[in-house]
Amino acid sequence: MILVIAEQKDGKLNRASLETIAAAQQLSMPIKIAVAGQGVGPVATELAQYGEVIAVDHAALGHYTPEAFVQALQQVVEQVKPAIVFLPHTYQTRDFSPALATRLDRALITDVIGVKGGGTPSFARPMFQGKLTADVQPQGPAPHFVTIQIGAFRADAAAKAAAAAPVSSANISIDESRLRQKPEAPFQEAKQAVDLSQAERIVAVGRGIKSQENIAVAEQLAKAFGAELAASRPICDNGWLPMERQIGSSGQTVAPKLYVALGISGAIQHLVGMKGSRTIVAINKDADAPIFEVADYGIQGDLFELAPAIIAELAK
Amino acid sequence: MAERETLEVDVLIVGGGPGGLSAALRLAQLQKAKGGEPLSIAVIEKAPEAGRHQLSGALLDPSTLKDLIPDFASKGAPLGTPVDNDNIYFLTEGGKLRLPITPPPFQNHGNYIISLSAFTKWLAGQVEAEGIDLFWGFPGQRVLYGPDTPHREGAAHGRVIGVRTGDRGIGKDGQPKGAFEPGADIRAKVTIFADGVRGHLTKQLYRDLQIGMAAEPPQFAIGIKELWDIPKARLKPGTVIHTLGYPLREEEFGGSWLYAMADGRISIGFVVGLDYKDPLFDPHAAFQHFKRHPFISSILEGGSLVRYGAKALPEGGWNTQPHLFVDGALVVGDAANFVNSMRLKGIHLAMRSGMLAGETAFEAIHAGDTSHATLSAYKRRVDASAIKSELYPVRNVHQAFGGGLISGGLYAGIAMVTKGKLLPELSGDYGHHEMRKVDDYYGLAKRDVLVPSNAAPIDRKLTFDKVTGVHYSGTHHDENQPVHLQVQTDVCHSICGSEYGHPCVKFCPANVYEMVDNGAGGLRLQINASNCVHCKTCDIMDPYSVINWVAPEGGEGPSYDGM
Amino acid sequence: MKIAVCIKQVPTREWQPRLNDDKTWVRDQDVSYEMNEPDAYALEEALRLREKHGGEVVVCSAGPARVQQVIREALARGADRALHVEDDALAAADAFTAAAALTAAMAEQKFDLILTGLQSDDQGHAQFGPVLAEKLSIPHSTIIMEVNVAGGSLRVKRELEGGWFQYVTMPLPALLTIQSGINQLRYATLKGIMAAKKKEIAKVAAPSGLAARQKIVSLYAPQKAKQTVMIGGSAAEAAKELVKRLREEARVL
Repeated sequence: MILVIAEQKDGKLNRASLETIAAAQQLSMPIKIAVAGQGVGPVATELAQYGEVIAVDHAALGHYTPEAFVQALQQVVEQVKPAIVFLPHTYQTRDFSPALATRLDRALITDVIGVKGGGTPSFARPMFQGKLTADVQPQGPAPHFVTIQIGAFRADAAAKAAAAAPVSSANISIDESRLRQKPEAPFQEAKQAVDLSQAERIVAVGRGIKSQENIAVAEQLAKAFGAELAASRPICDNGWLPMERQIGSSGQTVAPKLYVALGISGAIQHLVGMKGSRTIVAINKDADAPIFEVADYGIQGDLFELAPAIIAELAK
Repeated sequence: MAERETLEVDVLIVGGGPGGLSAALRLAQLQKAKGGEPLSIAVIEKAPEAGRHQLSGALLDPSTLKDLIPDFASKGAPLGTPVDNDNIYFLTEGGKLRLPITPPPFQNHGNYIISLSAFTKWLAGQVEAEGIDLFWGFPGQRVLYGPDTPHREGAAHGRVIGVRTGDRGIGKDGQPKGAFEPGADIRAKVTIFADGVRGHLTKQLYRDLQIGMAAEPPQFAIGIKELWDIPKARLKPGTVIHTLGYPLREEEFGGSWLYAMADGRISIGFVVGLDYKDPLFDPHAAFQHFKRHPFISSILEGGSLVRYGAKALPEGGWNTQPHLFVDGALVVGDAANFVNSMRLKGIHLAMRSGMLAGETAFEAIHAGDTSHATLSAYKRRVDASAIKSELYPVRNVHQAFGGGLISGGLYAGIAMVTKGKLLPELSGDYGHHEMRKVDDYYGLAKRDVLVPSNAAPIDRKLTFDKVTGVHYSGTHHDENQPVHLQVQTDVCHSICGSEYGHPCVKFCPANVYEMVDNGAGGLRLQINASNCVHCKTCDIMDPYSVINWVAPEGGEGPSYDGM
Repeated sequence: MKIAVCIKQVPTREWQPRLNDDKTWVRDQDVSYEMNEPDAYALEEALRLREKHGGEVVVCSAGPARVQQVIREALARGADRALHVEDDALAAADAFTAAAALTAAMAEQKFDLILTGLQSDDQGHAQFGPVLAEKLSIPHSTIIMEVNVAGGSLRVKRELEGGWFQYVTMPLPALLTIQSGINQLRYATLKGIMAAKKKEIAKVAAPSGLAARQKIVSLYAPQKAKQTVMIGGSAAEAAKELVKRLREEARVL
């Protein structure tokens, strides 16, 4: 049986939890879902669409601290006795899951992008900054812990149960004297720099755009897609877009859900920065452009005709 | 703001290649033998680690290694693969002619196919074990001169008293960034310049002290190299192949090498003299054509590209040797043009010149006199050494090729047989003066001057474009720093296009130079400085001599693992 | 303050990996190495804290002999001394094993503060810091942007997702994993490099019985699962087809 640890914040379910359920469902094993916090009733009910839920509700879990979460989840894992524990690879999970696995003296495999079933399941994860992929098997006794890379699986691929499953309450206690951290309220800061690595969709423009005035075409396309605007190196070298929008070996590496390469030839320095994207669309005049080798969808044609046509379609 | 560091040493060695490291090691040996207060010795090198910027075929003649480190085998010298068989071919467009006999200079029995990068790394380990300070990631920026004690009449400055290293942490706009560190002044009693082919500091030295003029102007070639992994059984390890002919024409000097190492690893490269006449010629394209030749492509078939790189090499021989010593300084290795262009070997010469410079410096410092008079002992040592006995007989070989392949070949043949006697002294010219203008070479036919005359098809299996090559060279530079190719662009934006058709776009093997739309109906020069593989071709070959290569921020550049 | 910085040696960013024969690891011939960049930011933060509060900075590293390269670089930048758990077997160790290798040696030192990078650029587990903290029974926090020390306790700024941040207070001793880019990395000076040669690098044998927690059964170049679908037709037709497929097939809109 697999235990999925879902993540919620202030009563709102993190969608990565559904991605994690979808990942867990790749192995044909029964699934239980735990969610920790304070007042998690409504979230637990939401999760019950996918399987049996264990609500881990405690005042000390109201504000996240690693120690409280590790204590609570350790007890849940010891009670539930799963073979594997799945978690989403969020910042919060990265903060406590290694400590949890260590306290239980069990293996933890992080940042998983693929799950392979069979006699002994193995988990695919990126290595050497995505240059290679490793199929990894946890060693040592169960349970094994696995964190799933955000966006590697699709939330809408999580299968719902035939009928709403039961929700139970976990019976746990927390030794508050061991909670040594005092968190303050989270706050937002004005974004200093463009962080393309967080963007879900990106439209990247290359030399095919020909001139600085034409960048507007790419901007409009990005807007229509609800995407961030990025560029290949020559565009930034020319000063047509700032350096922080550059994708590639001398810029940022991204892996958004959608990457539209507009007039980009696909030099290897650019490819290494984006070929991990989930869906890649390439638009280029040159049928031999290397970008087509990594694209999921390719259109050979004039971007100045295609961009407006796509914008019109998206508006429908 | 950080203060400028200063350091005082007895000997400063500029350049951590085989020449500089041999000088350092020799000094350490002499010190150990003499005992007493050790000399303080420092080596500065722009690469972040030993060997990272080293590129060569390479076939090592182990003669100097045996003299420098007799127990090199037990010390684990990475001598790679011993040469097993030598083959020379003359290639035509579709076929090949094998030379039935291998002329003596091309016989490599007793030599080793090595990775110069790995060899340099090992040599650096030997130097480090002696306790010598090796400062990686510190390029020299400026030669430091002392009060005016003129070496030659009319010379601008006098004694060399050391080197200033490059500033670190300057932005593209020329302003200091947060972690800015000004370059350090390293003062030395003797500075040994070993900064390689067209060394950027020896260039300053020659110009400042007017000592660069040799009997003949310097001549160079560009070598473009790739490492490939091919099926293991295909070529016997130790196989050495050299070719002449296709795709070069009678008027172009050059040829190729292909060396088989262990485990299916091969070193393949192409050398073109930087004195070609066709202004639209592209050496990188010639290399791609070469790989497509049926003989070569059959060897590379099914293999994969592992590494790419390029470097210039001195070709002019003995008569292009500059003045080797001045007050406070000596010049060794490729920087002094010590390469045997007939045998295509220079590593052992760099090492020997380094040893001799080390010996000279040691003597001079202990004698308390590092003036040019005392340091002239270096030149006497070089003249009495294997360097002269090897280079003198073939001193005109490259110049002979100025008359074309046939006459060059004849001359070389006679030089070989007569050991350099019985031949008229030949003169060469600066290679970049040989380049003809577009109109002159092509007549008045209209053509797109930005397309190389010998453009090659790129299939990304056998042939690759320059930008892909740069990726495989492991080159990295921080984008936010001043551009290290100093170009007087008024020429680029006025006469170069019509006169020479922007040859920099073609001769740079790394796509550093591009002519792009200037938004006003014309073209402007765009410099992609971070592509630079530090080969020095542009500094050598541009017909107007308006390109000056200076070192970018230390610790950057190519990463020639295995080269 | 006695501050430890855990530093890992990794292949350079430009390195192209080549698989070994049984495709379970990479060939290590002709590899160039460098300091793991996230750890460089941790080192810089440690040096700044020492400048502000006094004390010493100790570099801790686990790995084969060659990791001396990054230890020396850290000493050249200003760290005071180093601890090296040396073992060839640690070259490919996962984060848990590496942390286990260092635990006893580091526990003995009784550090006030331990800083590590966020994750390593080679294996990228992002586990080492929290695992080590748990083994040493000290509190930890990850992805830290700012470190403030006052009277035996820490107040740190943690990065959360989506542009959110949070301050957290905890007592010393503690462990923090540092976010990259939070400071400007200083250069090693000539004097620093020379002085590094004289600084202590304590060699410690790796503890026995370190079992790997993960096994790589296969290592391969990432495969593209799908074939490229070329969409033809006029601009309007192609646009329509593309948007349809993005909506229904790829489901990214």
